[in-house]
Amino acid sequence: MARLVLEGVSKRFGAVLAVDGVDLDIEHGEFVVFVGPSGCGKSTMLRAISGLESISAGRILIGDRDVTHVAPSRRGVAMVFQSYALFPHLTAAENIGFGLRLAKVPKDEIARRVTEVAKTLQIEALLDRYPRQLSGGQRQRVAIGRSIIRDPEVFLFDEPLSNLDAALRVRMRLEIARLRDRLDATMIYVTHDQTEAMTLADRIVVFNEGRIEQIGAPVELYDGPANLFVAGFIGAPAMNFIPAEIETAQGGQARVRFGPVSLPLEREATPGRVTFGVRPEHLSVAAESGHDFRGRVEIVEKLGAESLIYLQTDFANAPVTMRMAPELDIHAGEEIPVRVGRSRFHLFDATGSILRIR
Amino acid sequence: MADAAALPPARAPFNPWPAVIFIALVCLALLFLAPTAGVLLSSIKTTREIALGALWSIPADLYLGNYAEVLANPAVHRYLLNTVLVSAPATVASIALGALAGYVFAKLPFRGSNLLFLVIVSGMFFPPQVILIPLFRLFNAMNLIDTLWPLIVIHTAMGIPICTLLMRNFFATVPNALREAAILEGANEWQVLATVALPLSLPALAVLATLQFTWIWNDFLWPLIFTQSDEKRTIMLGIVNLRGQYSVAWGVQGALSLIASLPTLIVFLFFQRYFIKGMTMGAVKG
Repeated sequence: MARLVLEGVSKRFGAVLAVDGVDLDIEHGEFVVFVGPSGCGKSTMLRAISGLESISAGRILIGDRDVTHVAPSRRGVAMVFQSYALFPHLTAAENIGFGLRLAKVPKDEIARRVTEVAKTLQIEALLDRYPRQLSGGQRQRVAIGRSIIRDPEVFLFDEPLSNLDAALRVRMRLEIARLRDRLDATMIYVTHDQTEAMTLADRIVVFNEGRIEQIGAPVELYDGPANLFVAGFIGAPAMNFIPAEIETAQGGQARVRFGPVSLPLEREATPGRVTFGVRPEHLSVAAESGHDFRGRVEIVEKLGAESLIYLQTDFANAPVTMRMAPELDIHAGEEIPVRVGRSRFHLFDATGSILRIR
Repeated sequence: MADAAALPPARAPFNPWPAVIFIALVCLALLFLAPTAGVLLSSIKTTREIALGALWSIPADLYLGNYAEVLANPAVHRYLLNTVLVSAPATVASIALGALAGYVFAKLPFRGSNLLFLVIVSGMFFPPQVILIPLFRLFNAMNLIDTLWPLIVIHTAMGIPICTLLMRNFFATVPNALREAAILEGANEWQVLATVALPLSLPALAVLATLQFTWIWNDFLWPLIFTQSDEKRTIMLGIVNLRGQYSVAWGVQGALSLIASLPTLIVFLFFQRYFIKGMTMGAVKG
């Protein structure tokens, strides 16, 4: 059973602490996605798990075996690189069988297993081709083939789809999802693509500045971010953040107020400055009587299935984004009444942590 | 704008530069070929014909006696064999050592490795005359004068800087991800070098093999210093030795010069098919 445990893992490059005391417990068969902005340490963490990067402190356990100081090839991990990293002087078949050849597996056994893997990935017809004769998607399939042939306990994917075009990316994403169902292995996937993270992950780990900000199922992170960073990072278009204030009215009822808006809170809260966060889909165009504020439409982005509307207001620092049904006929320059979804907003304190308001 | 559109399309102005460059290149090529042509012409003339002073004239008859004489001479066989015995191992050894050093400098840098690299490469700029006397004394003390060993050792050593420089720069272009992928597949550094880095570096190896072989084959200075007996002479000294006692055997020397340059030509022709670009294409995104 390939449970993967990280205990206080740190990685230092000179004066820079790339990974800072990461603790993580990944169950056997789980699909975990590391996300975070560039330079947040997610790729370093992946490389540390693979053994390509040594760690400065902590322990790495795979299946209850301490592999902190074990050579990469003996850890039972396989990695799919962003750049595919196929050997250009070898055919697809030789690339897939490379590890077996090094391990001195008999030739006919290698051939048999390569064919088997190729069948799974539907690349049997391409086995005699060199990488330069393959398209991006085919190369990525060969790279995946090379990783699955050795039957590893843990698969590591380092932004494997980011070099593919949008349509191919969707197809390969589905294929990875299928692969994950078929292979009984633990998978760790690094990406900066929201959709990949949300659709593939059992759990998402959000990295920032070398630390884990939050771990949770995709929807958990989306609906219940632990802090301002996760709230802003998960979801595209991003959550709207508006400076606001908590006031306690007479009778003890706490309210959050920004601009002309004043919304009641369900539980008590300490008065003070907060950040009000609301996702674009939780703002709606309201009837004149029921609106919370008015905003001037700056830009309308029609995406077909939906429209994004950017509003100028006098209380928010950045344009407020709204997600609308495409049928709504709204044009730039109009002033529209907007209502905030009552139980769907979040409040963050001065340190960025979420305030419990329900 | 409308006026301009109405005019008939203007003829492109005459550009003299391609023609000038072409003529200059032809002149240069002729200059480079002239000595070879002269030697070729001499080699198919009789000594008498040459003595009459008609160096550049086309010979009346195709005289192959010079070639026959050279090829039948057992001393020439010895010279050729000696040169092969020096050139082949020294070429292989200098490239092997340069590849090892280059791999370390490109893929396994350590503290101070850049400085060490500079030190090694600076070896290229040492004039051989500077180390000639110390080396002679060294090999003399080792009792290796008038053997082929000093030549092999010196050519290997002198070749290391250029081989290291070229191999390091070539290995640097091999993506790191390939090395890492191989390591994850279970390769050690030796296997990465042998199964990934070197096969991708065939163009560099071909260039180096041609360069080193030609350089060592054509060397005159070191065999002159370290060999004394006719049994240990290499081909370039052999050409000089063919000089007669009272006269210069231009025809025979010319024939041997051309024969002596054949191996380097063959090496070049053999390796030139590896002088191909794009071996690393398709390795990573591309």
